[in-house]
Amino acid sequence: MFFNTRTERIFIWVFFPLALLLPLFLAENTFFVSKLTSVMIFALFVMSLDYLVGRCGLITLGHAMFYGLGGYLFWMIAPEYEAVNFWVYTFYICMIAAAVALVIGFLVLRTSGIYMIMITLAFAQMAFYFFSDSIDFGGTDGLFIYVKPETSIFGLSFFDLDNPTHFYYLCLLSLFNTLIFFRLLIRSRFGRVVDAIHENPGRTTALGYNIFLFRLMSYVIASALGAYAGYLFTLQYGFVNPSMLAWTTSGSALVMSILGGMGSIYGAILGTFVYEGLHFSLEHLTEHWMLFMGILIITMVMVFKNGIAGYLEKLLEKRA
Amino acid sequence: MNTQVSLDVQVMLETQGLCKYWGGLKALDDISLQFHDKQLHGIVGPNGAGKSTLLNLLCGHYKPTHGRILHKDEPIEAIKPWAFARRGIGRSFQKTNIYPDATCLENCCVAVQRRMGGSFNFLRSRYSQKVLDEIATDALEKVGLGGRRNEVAAHISYGEQRQLEIAMVLATAPEVLLLDEPMAGMGHEESQLIIELLKKLRREYCIVLVEHDMDAVFELSDQLTVMVDGQHLTTGTVDQVRDDPRVKEAYLGQGDEVF
Repeated sequence: MFFNTRTERIFIWVFFPLALLLPLFLAENTFFVSKLTSVMIFALFVMSLDYLVGRCGLITLGHAMFYGLGGYLFWMIAPEYEAVNFWVYTFYICMIAAAVALVIGFLVLRTSGIYMIMITLAFAQMAFYFFSDSIDFGGTDGLFIYVKPETSIFGLSFFDLDNPTHFYYLCLLSLFNTLIFFRLLIRSRFGRVVDAIHENPGRTTALGYNIFLFRLMSYVIASALGAYAGYLFTLQYGFVNPSMLAWTTSGSALVMSILGGMGSIYGAILGTFVYEGLHFSLEHLTEHWMLFMGILIITMVMVFKNGIAGYLEKLLEKRA
Repeated sequence: MNTQVSLDVQVMLETQGLCKYWGGLKALDDISLQFHDKQLHGIVGPNGAGKSTLLNLLCGHYKPTHGRILHKDEPIEAIKPWAFARRGIGRSFQKTNIYPDATCLENCCVAVQRRMGGSFNFLRSRYSQKVLDEIATDALEKVGLGGRRNEVAAHISYGEQRQLEIAMVLATAPEVLLLDEPMAGMGHEESQLIIELLKKLRREYCIVLVEHDMDAVFELSDQLTVMVDGQHLTTGTVDQVRDDPRVKEAYLGQGDEVF
């Protein structure tokens, strides 16, 4: 009952062992390892958006605000020339992002549908222009992170963040944990109410649930994880940049989520890898890659009605 | 004007001068009614009489323009919509309003869980609660859907969906049931099922029933209110209302020969 469908179990048994073994064959090719790392980080971000859009029915174009916030927050709160503890700062950043999401969610979630899209976009644009126009935050150039954190727990350090392979495994672990976390959340009693609200908000209110509270909670959780993804991105490349906050980041994440299969959670990984895979291969073939990319995505969305995950489920599930 | 007979039962729900205006339109004008515990209170009237508006006010879906709603003598017109259900005021809707993709049991579980708590438990599985399942199953059996427990709600018949909706309301353990045309669009046999069900329920809850099926309302009601054009016409026992000349006039004036 833990993973909803056979397809999801198959996907997890294929994807994670493969991802675990891959660096062994790519040991020399650090470019490819770090490329995969960045795709996994973005998949984590897409997953948090997928929960909001697909499970809660809250369509937002401002999720990248938290992605960028994760990066900027690290620069703001960490000392510049001193290695801090990775886990402690993960906690700090998630907590601060959650607090910000609580305030913004309180305003944003009073609206719904198209109005919510507009107001989340407005907040994200505000954050974008704030960071790209302010000299203190490096303007459009962004900021550099000079020292990467160390990752010891009780004196044991498993990951050296300057080593691309180590960082790859850290991100793989994060992605796996996030997937498990969302599965737990969806399976929980909280998840039952979230599903009910998504399917029929009016009925759920009439049963006595304060649906605003459940939506706010979901928004806070997804935003904190979105910030965590941004934090990982910043650590990987050693800089933070306003383009992380741009609405196009939210937009492409939304496309990946839809492509993967909205609300399926694991579909976020599929969607991100397919999107980034296409991007990567088309970019090398032609200068006009965006044109072909657009055509391909439109075709895929039209062919796979419920995303790639939905298509795979149709192929793999036994018919009732 | 108010011909309400005094009864020795507790007043569960009361409205005092309740008004709802949509701009210049008076959907509901100065309605003062009492709904008693363990009684079925029928509300009839021609289309546009404000019956559904009244129900929407009683469950908190709309806010009144003027007037008060008292639940056990406490004013509740200002509280949030979801808080009405928490006080034990449950409602069913005119249009079937369920979770179509979930099983009948799951539909009721959502209702039971609100009462049992744990909705902010992020880790505990929703499937690990025997007690919750039992209460939900009880509610299903009460309306005669025990055998449909594991069917997906979208796949059961229309009449059964209406029964399911009542089961969901019952699963919240309400004191007041607000039923908005529970027999709408049903065939004779299906209606008969609901009538039998309401006969069982009317001695356990305070029921407010809005219904177009006159035979059913006459058969079931302890108290009957007639509304016309957003206004209260009369309230009394079924016989009192049936003999009231104003009621005949109201219906005949509409060219609607019901009596």
